[in-house]
Amino acid sequence: MRIALVSTYPPGRGSLNEYAFHFVNHLRQKPEVSEVIILADKLPDNAPYPADDETAGLAPLRIRPCWRFGAWDNAWKIRNAVNTVKPDVVLHNLQFATFADQRIQGALGLLTPWFVKSTGVLSAVLLHNIMETVDLGKAGFGGNPIVERITRLAGNLFTRMLLKADLVATTIPKYVDILTEKYNVEHVVLAPHGAFEDIPEPDFELPNGPMQIMTFGKFGTYKKVEALIQAFEILQKTIDKPLELVIAGTDSPNTKGYLEGVQQQYAHVSNMRFTGYVAEEDVPKIFNDAAVVVFPYNSTTGSSGVLHQAGSYGKAVVLPILGDFAELITDEGYTGEFFEPENPQSMADAIARFINDPTYRQQVGSQNYVATSGLPMSEVVDWYLLHFERLLNNQVVSLTPKQEVS
Amino acid sequence: MEITHRTSNQIDILELDGRFDAYEVPTVVKWFDDNANAKDVIVNLSGVGFIDSSGLSTLVKGLKHCRQNKGELYLSNLQQATLIIFELTRLDKAFKIFETESDAIAAFATDQ
Repeated sequence: MRIALVSTYPPGRGSLNEYAFHFVNHLRQKPEVSEVIILADKLPDNAPYPADDETAGLAPLRIRPCWRFGAWDNAWKIRNAVNTVKPDVVLHNLQFATFADQRIQGALGLLTPWFVKSTGVLSAVLLHNIMETVDLGKAGFGGNPIVERITRLAGNLFTRMLLKADLVATTIPKYVDILTEKYNVEHVVLAPHGAFEDIPEPDFELPNGPMQIMTFGKFGTYKKVEALIQAFEILQKTIDKPLELVIAGTDSPNTKGYLEGVQQQYAHVSNMRFTGYVAEEDVPKIFNDAAVVVFPYNSTTGSSGVLHQAGSYGKAVVLPILGDFAELITDEGYTGEFFEPENPQSMADAIARFINDPTYRQQVGSQNYVATSGLPMSEVVDWYLLHFERLLNNQVVSLTPKQEVS
Repeated sequence: MEITHRTSNQIDILELDGRFDAYEVPTVVKWFDDNANAKDVIVNLSGVGFIDSSGLSTLVKGLKHCRQNKGELYLSNLQQATLIIFELTRLDKAFKIFETESDAIAAFATDQ
């Protein structure tokens, strides 16, 4: 099976690049996969992607940059690339802002799965968030109620377009229910997020030095660090241990300059470190060094890859009281301490419960490790391949009468 | 979880009883590891009232195992709660699911 993946991909820094990286690593190890082609976004200044990889024992990997973040014609460009590459299956690794941070360009990009289907190639989507659960105002797509309403209606329209794909997978059961019932479709499936790596049991001991309170992601829209910094100031005054706040990651594409502004605004806060972009090889150290991983979100747009990563490294997590996270906790076996979104005191209290009780911190980290390691990504990839095989077989069956007629 | 094994017409029949979750998965994984040549298998889930993604994933691996041996893995006797999980993941389309074990046995005879 030759599989094309429409996605951002390292060294590209767009959202979901890390998910694609891990997914592809496991995909290439499957005997039923003969080739993986990544239809990636073009890098800034047309920087090159790595050359084709034909390592023995793995499916060959080819990266073909064919679309550009923010462009109007991404769906068309990707369709043309699919016509050139002619894979058996195209899987789109998407969230609503994958193709652009402007509404119209972003929405036009979401036509891609439909365009791809029109080529006759099996078109599948992994949809990491759905419009129905996004707080548009907080996610940077609102502004006033009328604009929000128009955006929501457009979101419904483009969701219908996405649902033109042959298969749509989401990582949260509730999303399957919403899409199935609202749009009256039967080809939406639950596919668990999966653990990025088959990581051995982590060492729950922390390195010497200050206890690190870490947050990881792309910040500025619904992930904001102001309340976390204020919580950190409270903790520094109330806890008699050396602490460090580590803000790991970059601005969201929608909010360029956000972290620099925050850094200036809170220049007076000591023991705070902004790492900037964290390269793939540096991710383990960032997580391993952290005592607590905090999710300073005021809204969610889907399942959290960071939560799964934190679980992989056996970390205690501090989460906002928001629907999606609560569901992840209960559905997938995670646990953590919760805070009221954007409430520094509430966040500080939640963090303190871990800082002050190492045994509890390790218990929670251990439970999160078990939750994450329950379903490795290699097994999630098997689910996709099973669906692809079934759909490809159906295509063959449905083509047979036409062939007989001709 | 308890696992009972029997054979019928050279078909391996596994009857599972109990929760089928991450903690119970190793029992079933071990059976497939110990029976590397297993080709045609029926998993009777009549005693399984709960299955999570790990349990589903184990069945997917079992299906791949059987197909690699040029066989198939069929499911039978699913309780309603288990069937709902299969429908949510659409894995009900990937597996052949039968109401009874005898229906599954008959299907093997027909399919071969």
